[in-house]
Amino acid sequence: MSDSTRFALATGLALLALLAVPWIVRNDYYLHLFIVSLIFVVVALGLNLIVGYVGQLSLAHAAFFALGAYVSALLFLKLKWSMWIGLPAAALLTGIAAFALGWVILRVRGHRFVIITVAFSEIMKLVATNWVDLTRGFMGLPGLQIPALSLPGLGAIDVSSKERFYYVVLAAAALSFYLCYRIVRSSVGRAFVLVRENEVLAESLGISAFRYCMIAFVVGAALAGAAGALYGHYVGFVSPDLFNFSYITIMLIMVILGGKGTLIGPVLGAVLFTFLPELLRDAAHYRMLIFAVILVLATLFMPRGIIFPLVEHLVPRRWRTRHVRAA
Amino acid sequence: MLDLAIFGQHLLNGVLIGCAYALIAIGLTMIFGVMNIANFAHGEFYMMGGFLAFYLISLLKVNYFLALPLAVLLVMVLALVIQQTVFKRLREAPMMTTTLVTIGLSILLEQVAHLLWGPQPQVIPNPFPTKPLSFFGIYTTPLYLFSMAVTAALILLGHVLIQRTRMGKAMRATFQNKEAAALVGVRIDRIYMYAFTFGAALAAAAGAVLGGFIPVEPTMGGVATLKAFVVVILGGMGSFVGAIVGGLLLGLAEGLGAGYFSTGWKDAIGFFAVILLLLFRPEGLFKRA
Repeated sequence: MSDSTRFALATGLALLALLAVPWIVRNDYYLHLFIVSLIFVVVALGLNLIVGYVGQLSLAHAAFFALGAYVSALLFLKLKWSMWIGLPAAALLTGIAAFALGWVILRVRGHRFVIITVAFSEIMKLVATNWVDLTRGFMGLPGLQIPALSLPGLGAIDVSSKERFYYVVLAAAALSFYLCYRIVRSSVGRAFVLVRENEVLAESLGISAFRYCMIAFVVGAALAGAAGALYGHYVGFVSPDLFNFSYITIMLIMVILGGKGTLIGPVLGAVLFTFLPELLRDAAHYRMLIFAVILVLATLFMPRGIIFPLVEHLVPRRWRTRHVRAA
Repeated sequence: MLDLAIFGQHLLNGVLIGCAYALIAIGLTMIFGVMNIANFAHGEFYMMGGFLAFYLISLLKVNYFLALPLAVLLVMVLALVIQQTVFKRLREAPMMTTTLVTIGLSILLEQVAHLLWGPQPQVIPNPFPTKPLSFFGIYTTPLYLFSMAVTAALILLGHVLIQRTRMGKAMRATFQNKEAAALVGVRIDRIYMYAFTFGAALAAAAGAVLGGFIPVEPTMGGVATLKAFVVVILGGMGSFVGAIVGGLLLGLAEGLGAGYFSTGWKDAIGFFAVILLLLFRPEGLFKRA
């Protein structure tokens, strides 16, 4: 089979399977897991742009996810804005927040960058916890709903059932994937990889590392914000727990074990690491422990991730990582 | 009109936590300076020190003054094992790898503590009389004075070890230039081991001593790590004196912030300071030692 036939076949089959999920999976609980994993696909795709493509280890991603959830929740509860406006608003606002933060911290690299992304996350958490008048602090914001989707010519469509909301998140995941695919395949994506592999060389060619890191940072954060809005409305409740360190850990595991710097790796990572904890439900106490061990061992011994090397031969060559050899 | 007694009280409240920050930060900055690793698991040694002290004193009924050094010793053994099994492999690894591994390690240790001792906060029993003492309208307790003396003595000990001994000299040399230090006969492997174990010991001591005031719980290590990173950035990464001064400053600022402003927001002081520092003085508050 030639490369492109295989590609077309794989894509077609994957799409068909994804569209058929609500018919095949009749169990409410498993459908719930599919919805959550698709939301995390959006998150992981965004984080992958930052960690995988421009190679900056940002630990602020969970904070952007939570920020998006809060923005959309507050717009819904205080101003009665529908989620369909709240979602783009959340993406826009987290994008702006990422721009402001990036403007300060993308001047530094390495350890200081990592630590300041954590400091930012902690400040956001403190705001969510202490600004009680707005966020109700620890009590969180309950009562979020999924409003009907009104499309011109089609009237209002109720999407609040799990079967229908699945298609909403599937569309979001597909759009995010397409967006990342276009970015990565463009000259911007090539600049990303060069900045990651050799920043000095990139700068000497007139490619501004600051600029391309900023693009990845802002787009990645906006995706996290949009995913956060979807998540908040789906779960119906937003609280400062969303800022917990365990979220960013799981997101990193999804991206890194899936295969950072590849497009399909983080997608599979998001699905696998949403389902895996549920399959390990009997060992619920040991869940984070197992995750931690996986993270340590995989980082040390399998730097390319554990999923991507397994599926690599299924993926067309043009989806694979372009490795620019460092000088 | 500023009430001096109240001001003094807030300052005093900040001194002990400041000393603890300094102790944790010294180890962190040492590991950073010598091994070039930002150790996100460092605060877990502080947590382990607290929990082991609690376990020895409350559950095994070991004498308080014997239990503190014993807890520190146990953490040193733990640190040695971690150094030999994990950190040895990280020597030439890229930053992304070292950071991810230490993040994983931090969660691992937190979860182990969670499984061993449960999630509920524990207070280490107080061996001193609980009657408050008063000087010029400032109140304190014997335990507080004892803890302050211990942490201050340890900071001094750390300072002397690093600045005055042969090992400290070798450590500073390794920090300045690894290859050159190795060339003049410094055994880099040993230095890594000493720096890591000694740093862990200081953090563990801080945890064991502070456990009498701040309840010990599995999640305290993560917060301690972040605060210590704030201190290390404020003091300049790899600077010993910076870690000490930065730790005390942050502790005092938090004490005053909690007293005059709000306890809920006091934790934000350090995080804001780091971001502001980066904007206006990226090289750190102090020059490198």
